[in-house]
Amino acid sequence: MLTVKIKKNFSEFNIDLEFIVDDEILVILGSSGSGKTMTLRCIAGLICPDEGYIELNGKTLFDSKKNINLSPQKRKMGFLFQNYALFPHMTVNENVALGIQQKTRLEADKKVAWLLEKMNIPGLGHRYPSQLSSGQQQRVALARALSNEPDVLLFDEPFSALDTPRKEKLELELLSLRNFYRGDILFVTHDLAQGYKLGSRIAIFESGRIIQCDNKYKVIESPVNYTSAKLTGVKNLMKGQIESKSDGKIKVKINDLGSEFIVLVKKNINYYTNQVVTIGIRPEFLQFVDNNKAENTFLCKVIKIIEGVADLSYILEPINENVNYKGKFYLEANLSKFSDLNIIEGNSYFINLPPSQLIVIT
Amino acid sequence: MIATIINFFAGIFIARIMSRYPGKLKNLIEGIFMLPMVLPPTVVGLILLLVFSKNSPIGKLLSMLGTTLVFSWPATVIAAVFVSFPLMYITTQGAFEQIDTNIEDAARTLGLNEWKIFWVITMPLAWPGVAAGTVLAFARSLGEFGATLMFAGNIPGRTETIPVAIYFAVQAGDKVKAAFLITITLIITFISVLVLAYWKRKKPKILSLLNYAYSKNKKEFFRV
Repeated sequence: MLTVKIKKNFSEFNIDLEFIVDDEILVILGSSGSGKTMTLRCIAGLICPDEGYIELNGKTLFDSKKNINLSPQKRKMGFLFQNYALFPHMTVNENVALGIQQKTRLEADKKVAWLLEKMNIPGLGHRYPSQLSSGQQQRVALARALSNEPDVLLFDEPFSALDTPRKEKLELELLSLRNFYRGDILFVTHDLAQGYKLGSRIAIFESGRIIQCDNKYKVIESPVNYTSAKLTGVKNLMKGQIESKSDGKIKVKINDLGSEFIVLVKKNINYYTNQVVTIGIRPEFLQFVDNNKAENTFLCKVIKIIEGVADLSYILEPINENVNYKGKFYLEANLSKFSDLNIIEGNSYFINLPPSQLIVIT
Repeated sequence: MIATIINFFAGIFIARIMSRYPGKLKNLIEGIFMLPMVLPPTVVGLILLLVFSKNSPIGKLLSMLGTTLVFSWPATVIAAVFVSFPLMYITTQGAFEQIDTNIEDAARTLGLNEWKIFWVITMPLAWPGVAAGTVLAFARSLGEFGATLMFAGNIPGRTETIPVAIYFAVQAGDKVKAAFLITITLIITFISVLVLAYWKRKKPKILSLLNYAYSKNKKEFFRV
């Protein structure tokens, strides 16, 4: 179990956070330049936090009050760098062997072979890093990080330079790493899909702070604020004000959609009338319907269709006599390519926002 | 030759410290290091002469110990060191700064101590730069003239270096001696540059020897 509570001031941002990794993969999700790498470097002991403490399995690694600061050499942490940071002048075998603590050469050799086998790169031992593909290099880096039996593995966006098939393959292998590696894993990424696949819990990170840290289902279901919603893929966000509330429902007036539009929300947790809220919905939950009889339905013009591999994205502009949107406000809908709807660019359709799929952010 | 050896170690040591030194004084210190290269060698010689002369504090200290540096053979070495140090320093420091700090950090998280990191990771990676700096510094100290003449004088058999001897031979009209000395210089320079070029290219071999020597002392320094 890794317990972290640290503060450090930088010129661009201040790190001030607290979290626990307890025999799991914790994913730190944040945009680039938000201080994720610096946080990992603090934990590994490569830079020294200003204050706080870091504890690993009951052992104190850093404590500003007690003046404890173990060197990175003594922390037993595996670090995977974004650029792999292999030793370019050494063969794969030498790279992996450098961190091994075993006494005899025979044992060390055995361990290197075992690690390369586990990483699915047996037989590459005598090559130099420059002779390997980027995927193979990352496998070597992982084997090297595992070589001194770390208690924690720190991943700093390790797969971001790989192409999609290689990335997916490595993600799969990382999940099966848990079969023989019993330790905590801290995985930093800016990619929600990747984080969701790998992590059991997700920590949403914004300029040095963790704004939400929860079970991944919870994080996706109910983001706590605007940044959290954006990062977790809630593309449609609308500002509004609560007009009334009744049993299990609230009515929200959405200013962006003009005064007539009222949206119903089924999750009722201590909202009050006239409270300013943001309503969010994922693009895949928007529905094209035949008429405007159901609640939360309004007319939209399809102004652009973007075709993906397996889905279609529709950029929608609401039609409202009282409001001139002209490039100011859009909604995005996302549908499978294989639905039998025939939506044509430039035409108008009724759009329904299912009340149960709406997220309220205060 | 001795000057080259001194520069080799001093250059590596100081460049290593400076390449990781973040302070604001860095530019100032580097400026002072580079001075001997910018100043005319005669000026460097004059400064050394003043610093080590019998009336200066250092000179007094030395004469209290019963020695003097001025116009002695160590003076030729000191002059050569001062003049060629900037070349060694700047190339070596550049080579150290080129190394991705992540690589050294990776070694740290693997549990390698700083000493081992320096010899197994940093030095091999900076090797081409270090070797190039050594070649340059050696060439510069071999050809050193102005500062040597000012600081060490030209006492045959004691402080007479080849370039100075050539100059005085030509002045005295002794063309045979000059030609002889020039030939010797050419041979020494050519051989040493060849050796150093070879040395630079053969780094893996040299370093594996280094590793081997190390592993004899500390069991299991380096495997595979």
